[in-house]
This record gives sequence, C-alpha cells and structure tokens, in this order.
Amino acid sequence: MAEPASLQPTRDPRVTLPDLVEVLLNKGVYLNLDLIITVADIPLIGVNLRATLAGMETMLEYGMMRQWDEKTRASVRRSIARQVPLLPDEDVVARMPGGVYADDFHHSWRPGTVYLTDRRLFVFRREPAELLWQAPWEHIRTAGLHSERAVGGEQRQRLRVELVDGTYHLLSTADPERLLNLVRRHLRGVGGPPGAGAIAASAAPLRESHAWYQERRAGSAVWRGGTARLDRRTGLTWRSPLDGRPAVNLTPRDITGVELRPARTPAGDSVVMAVATRDDTVLLAPDDATEWAALIRETVPEGAPRHELTEVQVGAHR
Amino acid sequence: MALTVDEKSLKHGVLTLVVTLVEIIQEALETQAVRRLEGGDLTEEEQNRLGEALMELDEAMEEIKAEHGITQSVQDLRSGLDDVVDDVVDKLINPARWADEAERGTR
Repeated sequence: MAEPASLQPTRDPRVTLPDLVEVLLNKGVYLNLDLIITVADIPLIGVNLRATLAGMETMLEYGMMRQWDEKTRASVRRSIARQVPLLPDEDVVARMPGGVYADDFHHSWRPGTVYLTDRRLFVFRREPAELLWQAPWEHIRTAGLHSERAVGGEQRQRLRVELVDGTYHLLSTADPERLLNLVRRHLRGVGGPPGAGAIAASAAPLRESHAWYQERRAGSAVWRGGTARLDRRTGLTWRSPLDGRPAVNLTPRDITGVELRPARTPAGDSVVMAVATRDDTVLLAPDDATEWAALIRETVPEGAPRHELTEVQVGAHR
Repeated sequence: MALTVDEKSLKHGVLTLVVTLVEIIQEALETQAVRRLEGGDLTEEEQNRLGEALMELDEAMEEIKAEHGITQSVQDLRSGLDDVVDDVVDKLINPARWADEAERGTR
C-alpha cells in the first residue's frame, strides 16, 4: 500500500506572494462587511462594505462590468482610429508627445503629438483636432539636432527638419535623439541607393559664400550680412545667421534674369548683382559677383527665355 | 533596540519597498493580461498595444532598479515576503501545525 502515496495531492512546497495574488485574482474575492464602531457600547460609526476584487476575465465570466469593459475599449479605438488623419493603409511607426514651431502668424510652439508613419512625419493636436504640420518623406532633405535656449533659460535640443524647398522646421519632443534616429532610418529607407545619391548631389551647393543682402525696410534699405547659397534644385537662398529662415528663397523657376551693377555696400564700392524675378529685384553682393552671376545664368538657362516668350505672346494677343 | 536611520538608507529602503510592491502588481497584471489574451476577446491591435505597454513597463522597472542599485535588495525583500506568505498559507491550510506549535510552546 505504499504505491498510492505518489498519487496523493501535493502542494508546491513554496507559495510566493505573486502566486497568492494570482489565485486571488483568478478566483475572485468577494467581501461583504458590516461593521459598527461603538464607544461605551453606543454605536457611533457604521460601515457597510461590499467589495469584489478579481481579474477582468473572471469579472466577465461572472457577467460583471461587461458593458464598462466594452465601452472603455470602444472609446480608445475611436480616439486612435478616427481622430488621427491617417491615409488608407498608412502605418504609424512611432508617436510621441511633442510640438512644432509655427513660423506663420503664430510665432510660437504649438504642442501636439509627433507621429512618424511609413509615409510621412506629422504633428497632430487631438483637442481641438488639427494637423499642425506635416511633411512626406520625399520632401524631407535632412534632419539634425539643433540646440537652443528655451523660454525657461535652459538649453533644449530640437529636431531641425530641412525640406527640399530650402525651408526648415523645428520639432520638439522629450527625446529628440530617438526621433532623429527614427527619422534618419526612414530617410535612408525612402529612396534606396539611387534616391540617396540624388539627394546627396542636390544637397551639395554649387556655390556658397558670404554675401550682403539689401533688405528694404519701411522707407530705407539696409545691407545685412549673411550666407548666399546656390543650388541646382532649390535655387538661390540667402540667410542671415540671426534669422530663422532664408530671407531670399528663389527657385530656378522664379529667377528671370541677373545683371551686374555698381553699388555702395558695407564692404565699400563694389559690383552687386541684381537678381530679377517676376515682380521684384533682389540685390545681393557676394565677394565675387561676376562669377555668381555667371553661375546663376547657367542654373536657370531655360527659366528666363520662357518667361520672355510668354510676355511676347501676351503682347501679340493685344 | 536601537534603530539607526540615515537619509541614504531610508531612501534606499523606501525605494526598495515601493519597487517591490510595483513589481508584484506588475506580475499580477501580466498574468491577467495573459488570461485576457487567451480569452480571445481582444482585437489584434489591442493585443499589440497591451504587449507593448507591459514590455515598456518591464524595461522601465529594470532601469529603475539598475539605476539605484537596488536589484539585490528588491530580490531579498521579495523572498522575505514570499517566506511570510508561505508561512501563513501553510498554517491556514494545515491546522495540524497549530497543534504542533502549541505543543512546542507548552514544553
């Protein structure tokens, strides 16, 4: 009769606290407590307590909180799927709280959530719902970290996203480095080797040097120092180190002509180039204006004649 | 009995206690999550979200423990708590032990 001993119910010799909690939650605990606190045999405080503690699955088994469970999950599903304006079959890769610096009439940081999807990078604010900023991956040229002094005085890292049209935008998040890594991974993945080569070629400017730019303010013109940059794809830009974005941003299409003229700049009497656009003339004084002008003419050979041609046609109609 | 409490050991002790309790809750949440997944009620998206959130919590807990150097003391406290639970449960389900102890006490 020694054999049945192995069939005797046994208990795991050690019970741990998580085991105990698990059993309690899986079985569920129902507590019904009536309590009266008395002083000198006079009841003063009454407690009537009914409590149920169980894992949600156990609760549902007993038919409790079923509606609540469904409502909670449905509302979350709605808030994720409906409010974020995703394109069909667009996948969110990562999301994190953040914001974007609005350079239009707001001139301030606008908080929202930064979403990184397989198609684009965008900042969305939930309440009230608004898409604050977005850029498809094909439109982003580079991204990097940019350190600046926040309102509170401390240095904050921002993500600086440069677009192919030469403008750039600042995004803030709690963890800019993680966002930068994710963005870099996507930028590399977008074009593959040929696309990446094209981006690299366009990113290298034809010419970049210091230049003076005549800025017209109310009533007077002021020469300001900055960097001019000429690029086959984005065209001619000029930016002061003090400015957030280029003050001059002319694509090859915008430029209708270049001419050299003598003028007085902070560097003394010199030759400046007057870059003509459809409705304006921009005065820039780089150190070697003659070479710059030649390069600009080379960059926009088809831009200028086409414009003249349309004028001729208009004239013929008259 | 004299009890010496300096600021460092107090912080260490309180942090250990809190982290241990959170860890036990975390384990309970994980087993309940497994039950919900097995229940088959959740959509795939909900399953992914749940898994990711629990994984993030786990990583955060490991980081906190490593950062404050309390991995060992958390483990000690847990085994101490387990001993207490083991003892209590053992007595609850084996009333015979009470008699044993009572006997030992009278001797």
